[in-house]
Amino acid sequence: MIEITDLTKIYRMGDVEVRALDGVTLNIAKGEFLGIMGASGSGKTTLLHMLGLLDIPSSGGIVIDGTDISRLNDYEKSMFRLYKLGYVFQDYALVPDLTVMENVSLTAMLRKDRTERQYHEASIDILKKIGLLDRQDHLPRELSGGQQQRVSIARAMVNKPDILFADEPCANLDSENSRMVLDLFREINEEMKQTIVMVSHEDWHKDYFHRIVRLRDGKVTSDDSKIAASS
Amino acid sequence: MGKKELKVAFLLALRSLQRGSRSSVLLTILIIGMCFTNMIFLPGLFNGIGQSITKQVVDYEIGNVLVSPKTGDQYVSDLSATLDLINGMPGVERATPHFSKGATLKYRQRMLGVTVRAIKPNDEKLVSPLYTKMVAGSYLGEDDTGEVIIGKPVAGDASVREEDEFQSSLGGVRVGDSITIDYGNGYVKDYRVKGIYYTGWSSADSAVYVSYTDMALADPRALDNADYVTVKTRPGYSEKFVKDELIQYGVSQKVQTTADLLAKSMGRALQSFAIINMVSLIVGIIITTVVLFIVITIKTINSRRQIGILKAIGVDQEVIMHSYGFQVIIMAVLGILFGLVLTLLMAAYLAANPIVTPEWSATLYLTPMDLIQNSLILFAASIVAGYVPAYQVSREDIQSAMRA
Repeated sequence: MIEITDLTKIYRMGDVEVRALDGVTLNIAKGEFLGIMGASGSGKTTLLHMLGLLDIPSSGGIVIDGTDISRLNDYEKSMFRLYKLGYVFQDYALVPDLTVMENVSLTAMLRKDRTERQYHEASIDILKKIGLLDRQDHLPRELSGGQQQRVSIARAMVNKPDILFADEPCANLDSENSRMVLDLFREINEEMKQTIVMVSHEDWHKDYFHRIVRLRDGKVTSDDSKIAASS
Repeated sequence: MGKKELKVAFLLALRSLQRGSRSSVLLTILIIGMCFTNMIFLPGLFNGIGQSITKQVVDYEIGNVLVSPKTGDQYVSDLSATLDLINGMPGVERATPHFSKGATLKYRQRMLGVTVRAIKPNDEKLVSPLYTKMVAGSYLGEDDTGEVIIGKPVAGDASVREEDEFQSSLGGVRVGDSITIDYGNGYVKDYRVKGIYYTGWSSADSAVYVSYTDMALADPRALDNADYVTVKTRPGYSEKFVKDELIQYGVSQKVQTTADLLAKSMGRALQSFAIINMVSLIVGIIITTVVLFIVITIKTINSRRQIGILKAIGVDQEVIMHSYGFQVIIMAVLGILFGLVLTLLMAAYLAANPIVTPEWSATLYLTPMDLIQNSLILFAASIVAGYVPAYQVSREDIQSAMRA
């Protein structure tokens, strides 16, 4: 599903060169719940941004579902993100002026293969799934952190993306809400065979992942899929 | 951009205006409205002054077309034949002659130099609204002799002392009083004041009117001569058409339209008005453009992270750009509507309370075309001012935007 070959990202800060990613090679299969773990500054978020088409690698290649993403122009990248990917951010990143329903259905409204009725139904379905249908007319600021993150997940899932990316989705949540969010990811993964790539630095999150890739200084230090069997 | 993209852009714009900072939205709408008013008020007022002067000149001085003596002649001669010829032309409502003579008025101890205008009262009625401007007494009859109508400033006010008067007068003449007119040619006659009028046009209000019959007694040249003949055109006929007809059908005097005469006498003033109007328009456009540019720039800078997020979840940059564009469009439309209401309210107020001077009384003269033209100019300026910062920010790469 995702083929990453010798991926490198170099940031230049004046005369200093920082290798955020250093020759990462990785394959991610369909239906996997992959955790990318590592200490702060290890390059995990950078890797996620490359996979989510939010940043451009310095070298190396990424092929998602047979599409070499380096060949896409800005508009094609937007469409790729819209049709193929879902993204959950650490700070929820909901549009503050839109209600829960509007936030969730925003990207679905843009899809040319969805009628108004279809995206409305899809939004209702996903809000039911995350248990926030009764809050559909609320604004994000009227929700708790955990609820906002669930809305963010609903927004990412409403288009039934091929891959769901989550960038430390529990970083701003207490353990109870974190567990709720992780349970939701697990449920989505198991019930819908949703491919999920999640970045985390919390060690206890590893119990939820099928496979864990650990990074240090931009390099893959371990790629362990044994946990999948035990979970 | 498809329908769905526009719909999402409009939703984002609408919600941002509805749920964002209302005070900044209201302030922006207020500023656009004020700019619209500023753009249209001064030109409207100048047009109003121009219209007022033109109307007064047409009503009390030259009519729509003026027939005056050709070069070298003192009078329009062979008056009866000339009037018959003019009155028979298509497009002519009526022609009426004027014969003026300088004279001194005497009333009790007061003496006042004025112009005595001789008119044919019945014809004058069809050309000038003077007869509707009587504030006391009545208008002249066709063959009145020994009777005069005088302007209110000439009659004066008995309660104002002579040394306090703004304009010299006879010190409080009333209808029925007798005044003496000394024509300076040895002809002196007492007249009964038949009426007092007030037109608001100082040249007319500073004169006195007698009948042509009466003037012929004072100056026999008035029998078949005139200083000039004023012509009123019929509705639907242009002044130019009537002028051309008069020349074509043998009126051998000088024939000029109001436009011809005003272009000469007011050309420079109108040019100055046009320059001031242009400056006012440009200032209005610049203020609106700068204000909207700043408002949208601040909005977009404050929303850089959100713009990055929207792009990250698959919203194309054009949708984001148009969402800001729609915000500007909505604010511009509301601002222009507010400006229109404000302008029309001021126009209504000035129509009821015109700015009055001795020469003119000005109202706000606006045509639908003025309103449409200014609305479109302001709208276009708003679009440019809004789209430029929106375009710049929406093009920023996602990483930079999200880090903001």
